[in-house]
Amino acid sequence: MAEEVKKRALNRLKSMYALRAEVDKMYQGGLEAEQEGKPVAWVMLEGWANPILSAMDIITVYPENYSSVCAATKTATPYLERADAEGFPSHLCGYARTCIGYSAEMVDLGGGIPPEAPAGGMPKPVLLVGSGYVCDARFKWFQALGRYFDAPVWTLEQPSPGARESLEEGAYERNVNFLIKEMKAFVAFLEKLVGRKMDWDRLDYTGGGTVEINRLRWDINQLRMARPGPMHTRDFWSVMSAALYRGAADPEVIIDGHKKMYDEVKYRVDNKIAAINREERYRLSFEGLAPWHSLGFLEDLADRGWNFVIESAYGPQRPVDIDLSKYSDPMERYVRSRYRSLSDRIDDEYEPEEAAEIKEDIRRTGTSRRLGLKHVRDYQCDGIILHVLLSCRAASSGLNLLAEQVKDVLKVPALVIEGDIVDTSLFNPADALRKAEAFEETMEHYRRLRKEAGMEW
Amino acid sequence: MVAETNQGLTRVREIYQDGPRRVKELQAQGNKIFGYLCIYPVLEFLTALDLVPYRIFGDMREPITRADNFMPTVVCPFLRSCLDLGLKGRYEFLDGIVTTHICDVGASLHSSWDYAVRTPFAYHIDTPHTVHETSREHHRGLLDGFKKALESYTGKEITPERLREAIKVHNRQRALMRELYDLRKLDPPLVSGGETIQVAKALMSLPVEEGNKLLEEVISEVREREDGPQKKSARLLVWGSILDDTALTEMIEDLDANIVMDDTCVGSRAYFSDVELTDDPIDGLAHHYLVDIKCPRTFRAGDFNATTKDYMADLESRFSYLADYARDWKVDGVILESVRYCDTHGYEVPQLRDYFNSIGLPSIYLEHDYTEGALAPLRTRAQGFLEIIG
Repeated sequence: MAEEVKKRALNRLKSMYALRAEVDKMYQGGLEAEQEGKPVAWVMLEGWANPILSAMDIITVYPENYSSVCAATKTATPYLERADAEGFPSHLCGYARTCIGYSAEMVDLGGGIPPEAPAGGMPKPVLLVGSGYVCDARFKWFQALGRYFDAPVWTLEQPSPGARESLEEGAYERNVNFLIKEMKAFVAFLEKLVGRKMDWDRLDYTGGGTVEINRLRWDINQLRMARPGPMHTRDFWSVMSAALYRGAADPEVIIDGHKKMYDEVKYRVDNKIAAINREERYRLSFEGLAPWHSLGFLEDLADRGWNFVIESAYGPQRPVDIDLSKYSDPMERYVRSRYRSLSDRIDDEYEPEEAAEIKEDIRRTGTSRRLGLKHVRDYQCDGIILHVLLSCRAASSGLNLLAEQVKDVLKVPALVIEGDIVDTSLFNPADALRKAEAFEETMEHYRRLRKEAGMEW
Repeated sequence: MVAETNQGLTRVREIYQDGPRRVKELQAQGNKIFGYLCIYPVLEFLTALDLVPYRIFGDMREPITRADNFMPTVVCPFLRSCLDLGLKGRYEFLDGIVTTHICDVGASLHSSWDYAVRTPFAYHIDTPHTVHETSREHHRGLLDGFKKALESYTGKEITPERLREAIKVHNRQRALMRELYDLRKLDPPLVSGGETIQVAKALMSLPVEEGNKLLEEVISEVREREDGPQKKSARLLVWGSILDDTALTEMIEDLDANIVMDDTCVGSRAYFSDVELTDDPIDGLAHHYLVDIKCPRTFRAGDFNATTKDYMADLESRFSYLADYARDWKVDGVILESVRYCDTHGYEVPQLRDYFNSIGLPSIYLEHDYTEGALAPLRTRAQGFLEIIG
């Protein structure tokens, strides 16, 4: 008798594929733009630049995302080695080292795209838009590309206040005013660079599209609280690029794709269809960036009944309805539609009593043990995976503190898996799987502790 | 108690060995001691309120055993060491702590400190990473918040007059330190690289006026000394991340080289520019602590608004002060050092080497993990470098 073919453990969303394909179009769009003589900018993920650049008809390509494409297609290693040879320390960000190696290769080719480059490659930029938001080392990365390109670097700054300082009187308005001026300075620079004026109506459109995409992503994530979890982290990662690195895509295309995804996830919730084709034994949150080169590892975990129902990185913000009609300045509308104060976010996220307690904790001690854990509680996770990246300080430095807090407050254990976003040599899937097997006993233990403590899950 | 008879370099060495001893004495007399991390917190505010600034350092001779619970091993070992010492109670005496967004890990340290170490007063300044106009304005606003928090804690006002006085006293220290550095221009230099670290570290562990008095003693002593460094074949500039222990410099100076100049934060970076006394003194402070201090954590560009890029011109605008150092201190070679996992310094290295190559100055990059034991292999590399430039 022929052996029955075992069903794949991950139950992928069909609506994911169309959105994922948009990322390929982004790269294709970059290549076409170069051929048509349109300006192409390499941009870092920071949330503000894309709608502005799109409104000015500057085509955007994202080296961070491109490095993850190189990692996923296992073509990154020669670029990493080239960056090492260029004298950059090997502990630097894997995305950056991939990009630096790629850039050095381009110079060898007289500005041409390396023939082995996946997804058609990234064309030579006329502008580099850097950022230090979330990861401040990125300030330096694009500056370092000055060795290879004569493109100017514009670095967008964003506030990153501490929790206590965020609650100071006047802090929010100070940050809003700063962002408005910062974005206006950026626009003035772009106008000088490309020799045409900003289309402010179009910024309302591209910025509004970004807000709507965020709203849909949020709504989808709300559905993911269901049991069994209807959408796996793997699918979230596959589509987040279309939302966050959308290049020149019309926002309506991405909005439509997310609407279809919402419908599909809703159908799964209504019909109790899980994101894994196995019994959902454990619900988990993935903390940190993805091991792009080894995503098959999640298939192995799904086979054991591990359902990654939520993740910490690249997530949407809770949407809010703000009356923007009183702001005549389009840049002010753009900033206020998206920038939220910590105080507001706490009020939005928590019940009034808990919100007040959290704010009081912050004012008194500078932090709150409950801040940052909400997703673990809301999604009723049995465990969290800390993906500690050997080449990424920004995504790794806070993970151990988070693990302490999650264990203290929610009685949810954490498993540390060391690896990297790009460098395959820094990740050992077999070892990680062995650790995961042992971690199941730990999750069972803490499940008992939560039950004894009368917790919800 | 520190023996009052000890002066100059002897007292420097005592404070270097036991930094907290003097501030604990002052605390027993009713003074408040405020720890600070890195050189970006605006110390003049503290001095204006009679708070004693005390710089937080790590200890490369102390194994990190407790910080792992809060910071993974893949982040800056210096900052992990600082947190580790905090968790072990070595900074229990602090009445307050002030940090800035020196880097993401530095900000993360503040969160962990708040969570697990806890100091009666804590404040984090979100110092921008760019120096263009909007960032400078924003930084000025952030300092208002810091000022208010300090005033609220102490119940005292930071008046413009008190602030101006504080700026003058700190500028006096900066000028004295530059005077000491001038004594390293001689051949042989009158003070070694290791001694300079000891002096800087002692100054960062004392009230600023007391530090100035000590520095005056040191300068007088050094001018007269006959037991200073010996003449050697190479005169080196050391650039890099924090060096708060003399182990690395002494290892290099045990070879045939004198370290005659540095660009580090327990060194010239903290002292080589004054705060301008502006009408509103906070304006001058805001500018100094964002623009004047030259650490790779801040993004600089020759012309922020330029729509074209000239790589060598950009390097010249960012690093020409190092060429000035090399010329004035008659430097033969440069050691670029960095603690492992310091991204901001790491990105700078190839560009700095391009720059030094362009001005014909040989350089070498040495990376270490902030442990004394890991320095031994670097000795061989430093030796090889000296042979090449010799």
